[in-house]
Amino acid sequence: MLYDLNIAWLPSTTQSELTQTLKFSASLGYNAVALNHLIENVPPQPKNPLPASPPRRRSRNPPKPRPEATATTTKAKMRNKNKARRRTIPRSLPSPPLYDIVAVRPTTEKEFSHACQEVRIEVASLISLDLTQRFPFHFRPKPCMAAVSRGLRFEVCYGQTLRAGASSDPRTRATWIGNLMELVRATRGRGIVISSEARRVTELRGPADVVNLLAVWGLAADKGMEGLGVNARGVVVNEGINRRGYRGVVDIVQVAARDDEEGDKMEGVETAGEAQKGKAAAAGGNGKKRKGGANEGRGSGNGNAPPADGTMSKRQAKKLKKLAMEESGATTPEENKS
Amino acid sequence: MVRIKERYLLVNILYPSEIGVKPGVPDVVVINQPTTDKLTPQALLRGIRAEVGDTFGDFGSGALEGGGLQVKYLSNATSTFILRITRAQYRMLWTALTFMDHVPVRDGKPCTFRVVHVSGTIRKVEEAAIRHARNLMFAVKDQAGEKDKAALEAMFSQAKRMRQAAAVMPTPLNVEDDSGDEDMVDISDD
Repeated sequence: MLYDLNIAWLPSTTQSELTQTLKFSASLGYNAVALNHLIENVPPQPKNPLPASPPRRRSRNPPKPRPEATATTTKAKMRNKNKARRRTIPRSLPSPPLYDIVAVRPTTEKEFSHACQEVRIEVASLISLDLTQRFPFHFRPKPCMAAVSRGLRFEVCYGQTLRAGASSDPRTRATWIGNLMELVRATRGRGIVISSEARRVTELRGPADVVNLLAVWGLAADKGMEGLGVNARGVVVNEGINRRGYRGVVDIVQVAARDDEEGDKMEGVETAGEAQKGKAAAAGGNGKKRKGGANEGRGSGNGNAPPADGTMSKRQAKKLKKLAMEESGATTPEENKS
Repeated sequence: MVRIKERYLLVNILYPSEIGVKPGVPDVVVINQPTTDKLTPQALLRGIRAEVGDTFGDFGSGALEGGGLQVKYLSNATSTFILRITRAQYRMLWTALTFMDHVPVRDGKPCTFRVVHVSGTIRKVEEAAIRHARNLMFAVKDQAGEKDKAALEAMFSQAKRMRQAAAVMPTPLNVEDDSGDEDMVDISDD
């Protein structure tokens, strides 16, 4: 699974341009992309202007690796130019979540250290850096690693440097490279998510090309692959749970199956349990295994109980057990034989 | 015995900015369209050297001169080429390809260079090229087939009859990739 968590979306982006970008991204092999929208000076009641994509899927059922089924998630990036940054980054999210992923883009040292050390993971899970900008400070390992260990990820956008080649300022690319090398040094390549920030379709590159590009500037190739795959997936999944689950901890994974299916399932469990029981008896069994065996003994150990009965009450189970105990002289040797 | 270790890069030229311009043509065909004949191996080398010089300066240019950069194969019909370079410098070359954004000829179209395969022997690169071209053909056929189906579905309302017809009908699209495949085979025989 390859992710591209930043496809730049501006109000001026037309639908056809967007379609082009998404199609090409899918053909390059990216499985999931996120449209990105930059908000400067977050208003008290933010709105999501991003176009709703028809094949939108939640990260719970991740998209199949088919090119036409690219999942599109929306993402906001909040840049705060105000000094009063704590007011600009909202303490909590609006109750129907507007965006699937939220990132912060610090520009000064104060904002950067605040983003690294204090921004709650429920509020934003990505620190997206504009590496073409000259930072008036060094990336120090301590705050960077604090952010990574708290679960935040640094986003590096290669589209910025591809764009820089055409732009008038020749130092932009150099600045990007310098900043990237420093960031890689500070984090030792851990916790970096690579995305494109492509404004036009020509700013997209294939995954292998991107990994090589960053490998030249010091990010090891395996870390680069992680940045396109594992790390990005972690961000998507965590944000999904934050939005969907209860307090970001409890989530519905699967709805229980229907009754007839359940019966089948219980049968399967029983046979597996029996096998386990046999194993436990052979090996002397540790506590866990014995416990499982005991459970099964209640359900299927005696001949009287119907074998595929998944819905036996406790009382009935006790009754049957008692019966079994009475006849134990007759039944247990048989059972051992079988 | 010490020998010079090399890397062969199989590169595709992609044209993403024309997706959706011509309706009715599958996207795979548009992205992998043929390159202009003006692109010769010399022009390609010139473009790459210029880009490396831009990105890595004199150091890069010198490394490329010493690295024995060569275009081993260039097919304009399939927009595919194979480059050879010493192993120490191949990442530099690759980076330059990533940074290039138009065909290195006069008034070249905007395009993207995608490195499809990197390997140490030319044999493996050829195999990869053939495999890649074949996969592309299948992708095109799939997309064209889907379009046929949709068209037929619109014509006939009955799904059963439609399915039979789709099975019988051959896909009408001929792709340029056939010629490329044969070219590749020729080279491997040499």
